[in-house]
Amino acid sequence: MAGVSKITTGLTGLAVAAKPHHTLGVLYSKILRTLQKMPQDAAYRRHTEIIINERAQILKSNSDIEVVENQIGCGQIEEVIVQAENELILARKMLNWKPWEPLLREAPPNQWAWPPAQAKN
Amino acid sequence: MISILSVKNSIPFLANSLTHTTRRYSKKVAKLCSESDLAKDDGKAHTARDQLKNFGKYVAECIPKYIEKVQITNSSELEVLVDPDGLKCVISFLKDHHSAQFESLVDLTALDIPSRPHRFELVYNLLSFRYNSRIRVKTYTDELTPVDSVTGLYKSADWLEREVWDMYGVFFANHPDLRRILTDYGFEGHPFRKDFPLSGYVELRYDDEKKRVVCEPVELAQEFRQFDLSAPWEQFSKYKSKQEAAENSKAEKNVK
Repeated sequence: MAGVSKITTGLTGLAVAAKPHHTLGVLYSKILRTLQKMPQDAAYRRHTEIIINERAQILKSNSDIEVVENQIGCGQIEEVIVQAENELILARKMLNWKPWEPLLREAPPNQWAWPPAQAKN
Repeated sequence: MISILSVKNSIPFLANSLTHTTRRYSKKVAKLCSESDLAKDDGKAHTARDQLKNFGKYVAECIPKYIEKVQITNSSELEVLVDPDGLKCVISFLKDHHSAQFESLVDLTALDIPSRPHRFELVYNLLSFRYNSRIRVKTYTDELTPVDSVTGLYKSADWLEREVWDMYGVFFANHPDLRRILTDYGFEGHPFRKDFPLSGYVELRYDDEKKRVVCEPVELAQEFRQFDLSAPWEQFSKYKSKQEAAENSKAEKNVK
C-alpha cells in the first residue's frame, strides 16, 4: 500500500480509509458467505452476488484506488465501503426475513382500489 | 438519455437484463402500466420512466414475499404497495441495497379511508441521493394493529411517526418516544380521522370572572347545518362503476 494519498473525503463524519483494499475484500467475502446461506434461486441472492462479484473483480485487478473508484462509479472508496457495510447488515437481516418465499397473504379486497368511494360497490 | 437509476456500470442489470424470473413477477407490475407502455416494453430502459419501471420489477422480484403490488403513477412516480408485516424488510432493502440506496426518508404520512377494512393507509416517501431518484412505499393498518416503527432505520421517522400517531392514532411498535407532538397537553381524539368533527369536542376561552382560560364542551351558536359538499358536476367519470352507471341510466329513464 502506497500510503494514504488524500487528506480528507470532504464528507462530514467519513474518514479516509487507510487500507481500503483489505477492508473491502473482507466485507465482500463476508457478504458472499452470508448470501450462500440463502436458496440458490433467490432473486436477492443472485442480484447481490452479481454486484459484489463485479466490484470484487475490479478491486482485485486494480491496485490504484482512483481507477477502482472510477470503474465502480459509485463515489469515493470510503462511500463504497459504507455501501458494503450496509449490504452486509441487510443480507444478515434478510436471512431472518426470508423475502424469497411466496407472497405472505393477498391484500384485502379493495385495499388499493382508487378512488376509495368505488370500493363500496 | 436521462439516467436515473444507472450510474455508469454499477447497476447494469437494471438497464438491460429482464430475465425470465423477472417476467414471472412482472405480472404484478403489468397491471399498472398502460397498454401503450407495455407495447414498447422490450426490457430496455429508454426513458426515466422505463428505468423506474424496471426498478419496480427488480424490487418486486427481490422481495416477492411482502410486495403486493408495484405501480407507477401518471406523473412517473414509482409506488410499492407492501404488506404491513414486511414494511421493515422492504424499507431496509431500499435503504441498504447497493442498487437502491434510498438513504433519506423525506416524508411519512397517512390517509384515513373509513370504508376500507384497514382504514389507514401509510405513505413513506424515500429519496436516493446516489441515483437521484424517489420512491413511495405504501402500507395499511387499522386502529388497533401496530405497525413496525422505522426509527431504527431513519432518524427523521421519529417525529413523523409521532405526528401520524397524534393525527390519526396509528400505533407504531418499538417507537422510542411515542406521544403527541402537535396538539395540546391533555388533548383527546385524533383530529385527522374522518369521524372527528370539524369543530372539535372542546373549546377554550378566557373567562373574565375566573381570570383564566377555561376549557368547555363546544357549543355551536347556530343550529345544526347540513353541508352538501358534493359538486354539481360529475367527478371521476373514468372510474365510475358499472352499477352506479346502471342506476343513473335507470333514473334517467324514469324521468322521461
